[in-house]
Amino acid sequence: MASAKNSHSQSAASRNGQRGKSAAKPNGHGNGPARFYGTPLPGVNPEELSGSLIVVEGTDGSGRSTQISLLTEWLESEGFAVETMGLRRSFLVGEDIDALMAENAVTRMTLALMYSTDFFDQLERRILPALRSGLIVLADRYIFTLIARSAVRGISRDYLHGIYEIALRPDLTFWLDVRPEVAFDREFKKSQTISYWESGRDMSLSNDLFQSFIRYQSMIEREFEYLSKRHSFQEIDGEASVADVNRELRKKIAWHLGIRSTHYRPSHALAHLWR
Amino acid sequence: MATTALDITTVAQATPEQMAAKREFAGALVVVEGIDGSGKSTQLYLLKRWLEIGGYRVHFTEWNSSPLVKSATRRGKQRRLLTPTTFSLLHAADFADRCERQILPLLHGGYLVLADRYIYTAFARDAARGCSPHWLRNLYSFAPIPDITFYFRAPLDVAVNRITAGRPKLKFYEAGMDLGLSLDRAESFRIFQDRILNNYDQMIETDRFVLMDGTIRVNRLQKVMRALLAERVDLKRFAPKKRSSSRDKKKAG
Repeated sequence: MASAKNSHSQSAASRNGQRGKSAAKPNGHGNGPARFYGTPLPGVNPEELSGSLIVVEGTDGSGRSTQISLLTEWLESEGFAVETMGLRRSFLVGEDIDALMAENAVTRMTLALMYSTDFFDQLERRILPALRSGLIVLADRYIFTLIARSAVRGISRDYLHGIYEIALRPDLTFWLDVRPEVAFDREFKKSQTISYWESGRDMSLSNDLFQSFIRYQSMIEREFEYLSKRHSFQEIDGEASVADVNRELRKKIAWHLGIRSTHYRPSHALAHLWR
Repeated sequence: MATTALDITTVAQATPEQMAAKREFAGALVVVEGIDGSGKSTQLYLLKRWLEIGGYRVHFTEWNSSPLVKSATRRGKQRRLLTPTTFSLLHAADFADRCERQILPLLHGGYLVLADRYIYTAFARDAARGCSPHWLRNLYSFAPIPDITFYFRAPLDVAVNRITAGRPKLKFYEAGMDLGLSLDRAESFRIFQDRILNNYDQMIETDRFVLMDGTIRVNRLQKVMRALLAERVDLKRFAPKKRSSSRDKKKAG
């Protein structure tokens, strides 16, 4: 198709552009800069994006947020400026989504499109400027969670990929994989209860909350398995210790950035995460 | 470009035969489209009054009116935070809400649904802002296809004069000021509307618009519109039941 061809020649062009100025860039090992899946967002020149986009995906209770806090500290101590993004954090609609989810009136398609508005508001107004300035962006979830959640609710995968084809392709995508049972233990320990949306109660899977959670998270996991192949995720065992998962992430990110030192111990402020 | 769009949006581009074959609704969907000032809202209002007075099962719905996403839209517009992409997605969310909670249930329930603007507004306007037409077609592919789409067309000058004459100040996004077409709001509005008009014109055939001349006298045009509707949609399906109509007569007398 025409659009696929387009992105191909574009990525080749930007790779060549990168090689020319690679001496001035931190990631000097020749990995191309962030690119788009299809037609880029209106008004964006992919060649200007010199930073790196690193995505950490995984279901609820997979340890994503913990790892992102640790990675931010590590990268900053290595001298890299970091920007983060996540779900419902846009200024434009972040709070509106919270409000919609608190009511039961919202339907799956409206919610999916509000989430995509939230995603693109962050991407266009915060993330792209950061990448233009050469920052490292750590994304706590990305389009993949949004696609998976809507796909298990019966929205066509082609439709969802169509919406997000104008999004940036990450430089690295990690998937912290944990079994739903382990995720349940962690989530329950964290908040002493299981939330409406995490257990997929809008889908009427089971009146038993534990069953509902397991079935819903298993459906999400299956979507991730499919997405993992399609978008070449780097799968990481999310059930390993925080320190082990972190070491693995640092090793891969250090390789991508072309830096040697991966030694890291969390500061006092984050020591409680390092169990 | 049009051929790639077909892959995903067979729904929005079906032929009348395909439409009849896949009619899944007891109801029918009637849409008016056209640039600001083309006369479409006046004509749809008159059509609605005609049907209401006749006792038909009819419901009127407007673009950009869902309460669920209203606060976000207002915030985005007031503070000028919207990019072409988020502008488009927010309106799609608004439409999805109306579609899933109003339009689809009413179509299933056997109503004649009258829509003042529909997905073609997004196709014409968001493409004028720089969104890819292919992306837009996919975005709205969940929308049911109208049984009839009236496209009201008036020359740019006529339409622009109707709008600017009756309005103290054009709004920022309405005038397309986000595109940097001109520092003068009226001029920007004109250029923006011209782009939208061209995008509408390109859909006349692909989306089977019924062309309506927006410069014709209001009552004459309304007569044409009613005749065309009756020709395209079997209005008997929505007519009042016999019993209730005799009661209405008594009341009126």
